[in-house]
Amino acid sequence: MSVSITAEMVGQVIISGLLAGALYSMVALGLALIFGVMRVINIAHGTFLMLGAYTTFWWSQLLGINPYLSLLASMPLMFLLGVLLQRTLVTRVVNAPELSSLLLTFGISIALVNLAQLAFTSDLRSVEYLTGAWLVGPIALSKSRVISFAFAVAITLFAFWFLQKTKLGKAIRATSQSSEVALVCGINVQRIHLYSFGIASALAAAGGSLVAVMIAIQPEMGQVYTFKSFLVIVLGGAGNLPGALLGGMLLGLVEQLASLFLTTQLSEAVAYVLLVLVLLLRPAGLLGGRST
Amino acid sequence: MKRVAPAVLVIGLLLLVLYPLMASGYEIRFMLQLFMWVALAQSWNLISGLTGYVSFGHVAFFGTGAYAAAILVTSHGWHWAPASMMGGVAAVILALIIGYPCLRLKGPYFAIATLGLNEVVRALVSYFESVTGGGSGISLPPIAATGQIYYAMGLAALAVTAAAHLIITSRVGLRFMTIREDEIAAEAMGIDTARYKLYAFLLSAFIPGVVGGLFAQDTGYIEPISVFPLLTTITMIVMVLFGGKGTIWGPVLGAVTLFVLQEMVWVRFLYLHQILFGAIIVVVVLLMPKGILGMLQERYRLPRTI
Amino acid sequence: MDQGHILEIRDLTKRFGGVTAVNSCSLALAPRKIYGLIGPNGSGKTTLFNCITGLERRDDGEVYFKAERIDGLKPHQVARRGIGRTFQMIRVFPELSALENLLVVTAEPFEVAHRKALELLQFVTLDRLQKEYAGNLSYGQQKLLEFIRVLMTDPELILLDEPAAGVNRTLLNELLAAITNLRDQGKTILIIEHDMKVVMGLCDTVFVLDYGEKIAEGPPSVIQTNERVIEAYFGR
Repeated sequence: MSVSITAEMVGQVIISGLLAGALYSMVALGLALIFGVMRVINIAHGTFLMLGAYTTFWWSQLLGINPYLSLLASMPLMFLLGVLLQRTLVTRVVNAPELSSLLLTFGISIALVNLAQLAFTSDLRSVEYLTGAWLVGPIALSKSRVISFAFAVAITLFAFWFLQKTKLGKAIRATSQSSEVALVCGINVQRIHLYSFGIASALAAAGGSLVAVMIAIQPEMGQVYTFKSFLVIVLGGAGNLPGALLGGMLLGLVEQLASLFLTTQLSEAVAYVLLVLVLLLRPAGLLGGRST
Repeated sequence: MKRVAPAVLVIGLLLLVLYPLMASGYEIRFMLQLFMWVALAQSWNLISGLTGYVSFGHVAFFGTGAYAAAILVTSHGWHWAPASMMGGVAAVILALIIGYPCLRLKGPYFAIATLGLNEVVRALVSYFESVTGGGSGISLPPIAATGQIYYAMGLAALAVTAAAHLIITSRVGLRFMTIREDEIAAEAMGIDTARYKLYAFLLSAFIPGVVGGLFAQDTGYIEPISVFPLLTTITMIVMVLFGGKGTIWGPVLGAVTLFVLQEMVWVRFLYLHQILFGAIIVVVVLLMPKGILGMLQERYRLPRTI
Repeated sequence: MDQGHILEIRDLTKRFGGVTAVNSCSLALAPRKIYGLIGPNGSGKTTLFNCITGLERRDDGEVYFKAERIDGLKPHQVARRGIGRTFQMIRVFPELSALENLLVVTAEPFEVAHRKALELLQFVTLDRLQKEYAGNLSYGQQKLLEFIRVLMTDPELILLDEPAAGVNRTLLNELLAAITNLRDQGKTILIIEHDMKVVMGLCDTVFVLDYGEKIAEGPPSVIQTNERVIEAYFGR
């Protein structure tokens, strides 16, 4: 290829990568939470993102106000849905072999995605709000990406504050270290599972609401985000929450870099190949941390 | 029971052989597809049911076979029958390339890795447009061969079920199962789990490749979306889980039951059967992890080799 | 290296992150003897087993079996060379029958394997349960099954990880008699045990590990009065 890579291009790639990465980190944090607390592999994670995106779509369709405010609707709604699913179904595979949770959540995601197809049809939807970009020197920053970056960072920071400083957050962290010890310390482990799954779903929904203004919304959109969340977790080390942040940024950067040289379809495939490579080379992730 | 079973089998096979002479085009098509699903489900069973290494991307082998066969037929003038066999070979080669690294991953990680596999293969097929026609797909010359393809599919279903029978009733099958039961103990007992896993994986890829090639000829046109759909993998999984993974007749039972239900009832209601598939997976995992046949085996102390 | 030793371990070291589970451990086993491997919890005994059998990769040191280096081999290769082992937590194949558990580990022709399997099952009076799924057997029965499964491949060196754990008196005596029998037949046995009575009564030589290091070696009577050993068990 005879394309000359300029400094501007590199700068653009890095910035775009970081902007996208924050979103990946936030969504992956949810998946890491579920895995850390319950040892459950939640393939349905992306489904909550999709439902969050649809919430934003209907919000802007029916209410017509700022779609970013729909976070106030999508996050609580999906929190509740997550809690419901955990209470009725997921809780039964919490202590089972991981493949059981994998298959169970797989079934749940199929059912939910197709319910969405039935309810919303597979027509592509979109939410028009912010278009255009801010120019900072030679680098173009897509407005919607920057806003979603800001929200993603804010939500993620809040989540970390929550986990570190609040009683419930500490209980969640304790349970993810050892549920037996947590139990003995008087922590209601069942309740922690409920909250964790709910919070994780809310985080995914937030991701959905934020991407709703940027990409096409359709029932199968969540799949690729589930996969990328796995990739982020594997990059950062399963169960390792700060690692999820690093992994998200890394993924964002790698993807943008790949899109410089490859077609968009192939650069999607990059995520998958990267996952297999990382799994093979460092199953404990880049930062160590517990593996299955 | 032992005396009756072979007789029933022979009569059944005879009926199936004579079927095309009595049935309409639509009905032959119906059975043809049924055979295809039996073949696919049984193949998935060989790796996922026996070794416990659940493959979430198995349709990649189907699609690879379809494309390999289609290219041989259209660009090189091959007859569809040997072309389909080469489709199987292509699938096995793909399985070797992926299986060698991926089977070293632990169960759940393997499943996740194969989840993406399908997408990678599809992306690659779309990318190499000059060979595969990219998004425009490949059109195969129409041939009035539905009857022949019926027999070919039937043969494929028969072959893989016979293979399942041979494996599950032999020590080779037992060794596959030890991988599922306790891989570490199996290794410690002298079983080369890496090799057996690979064999199972390669074996499970062949028939889907062949069947993909047959499918390509039968439908006359393929494109990336049509031969790499996630729904195919999902259907394979549901059929085997429902019927009973790790058994010989479980996948057959699952394939027949769900395909018939799908064609007769659900196809009228868009997306309903997919929702039901999801629900069935949930129900099976929570309530009957061994599937129908597995439940019967437990309840009535039937031998494992059915 | 002494040609007479069936197993020789030299300066074996295994670390897990910051913890050194086995620290420059050396020991040698002469054939046709029963050896004991004891030490407080966490002293590295099972890790040592895992390093010998290839389940863990050692960080340093060498393992020789019958004068050949086996460290670095895959577990199934080690097993094929003639080393069999049982596990601390029983690892039978739950959805295989008792008989199948035995048949699956050998590559011998079916008739030969079948006969041997039945003999072994009869030996521990499990033959009437041969078609039962191993997962449905009681703890003691599974323990026996795991024991005879190891014998199916006729290994020269047998590593037993806590064979007495959770086993009642009667069964235990049968097991001990069987182990002594194996020694008399020419096999070498290395046993990890916490039950001191078993160790003292059964073993010809005892190795003591503490924090991954070998701190004593000798006949049971000598070990019992060794100061370092007593300190390791009681002094902390």
